[in-house]
Amino acid sequence: MNIQFKKGVLELCVLVVLTRKDYYGYELVQAISRSIEIAEGTVYPLLRRLTKEGYFTTYIRESVEGPARRYYQITEKGKDYTATLLAEWKRFIGGVNNLIGKEAAA
Amino acid sequence: MNREQFLAQLRKALGRTAETEKREILADYEEHFRAGLAEGRSEENIAKALGNPSAIGNAFRIENLADNTRTGWKLADVFRAVFASISLGFFNIIVVLGPFLGLIGVLIGMWAGVAGLAIGGIGGVAGAIAGPFLQGLLGFSMTAGNVLFLFFAGVCTAALGVLAAIGMTWVTRQFFVLTARYVSFNARIISGRKAGGST
Repeated sequence: MNIQFKKGVLELCVLVVLTRKDYYGYELVQAISRSIEIAEGTVYPLLRRLTKEGYFTTYIRESVEGPARRYYQITEKGKDYTATLLAEWKRFIGGVNNLIGKEAAA
Repeated sequence: MNREQFLAQLRKALGRTAETEKREILADYEEHFRAGLAEGRSEENIAKALGNPSAIGNAFRIENLADNTRTGWKLADVFRAVFASISLGFFNIIVVLGPFLGLIGVLIGMWAGVAGLAIGGIGGVAGAIAGPFLQGLLGFSMTAGNVLFLFFAGVCTAALGVLAAIGMTWVTRQFFVLTARYVSFNARIISGRKAGGST
C-alpha cells in the first residue's frame, strides 16, 4: 500500500489508542501491531514528532518489574487533532465505500 | 540480527542527528528490547518485528526535516529573502533590464522587417497582376518581361517573408523561454531553494 497513506493511518491509530489511556512505548507498539501489520520500529519516530508538536507529553514512572518507563499522555491539543483526523478519516472511508458500493452494483 | 547489531545500525543511520537526541532515540529502542526480552521474546525476534534500522533512522531524520518546514520561515530566512530580492532588484534594473529592453527592440525591428518583406512581396505580385490592366488607364507601359519579373520578384520576396516569419517565431519563443527561466531563477534565489528543488 502507498507508504504515505500508511504513515497517515498509523498516525491516526497512535492518536486514537492514546486517547484511551497512557501507554509506554513497547506497550503501545504491541497494542497497535495486534490489530494492524506494521514495522514496529516506525512507531517511535511518529511518537517523537507528535510529542514535539505538542500532541503528547511524556512522564517517567517506575514499573513493578524494575526499570523506569517513559509514558506518553495525550494533551488537549492532541485530542482536538485526533477529533479532526477522525472526522477526515470517516469522510474519506465513507467516500471510498460509496465508490466500492457503486462498483459492485454496476 | 541481534540487539547490538540493530542498535549499531540505527545509530549509524541517524547520521548527524544531535548527540543528545540520538541518545534519547536509542534509549527508546533499548527499552523496547528490554520489555520484549522480559516477555520471553528473543533479540532476533524483536529486531525483526521492529523492521529495518536504516529505514527507521531515515524516518527520524525525515521527521526532523518535516519539523523544520512546519515551523515555517525563520526570521533569518525572511531577512535573507528580502536582501536577495533587493540586491537582485538592483542587479536586474542595472544589468538585466537594459539588454532585455534592447533585445525586445531588436525583436520588434526584426518583426517589422518580416512584415515589410511580406507586404512588399504581396505588393509586387499585386502589381504584376493589376499592371497590365491599369497601364492604359494611368498612362504607363509595361512589357511582358516587366510583368513576369515583377511577379516572380514578388513571389520570391513574399516567400522570403514567410521563411523569415517562421524563423522569427522560433527566435521569439526562445527569447520568452529564456526570460521565463531567468524569472524563475530569480524566484528560486529569493525563496532560498536550490535549482529545481522542492522541499
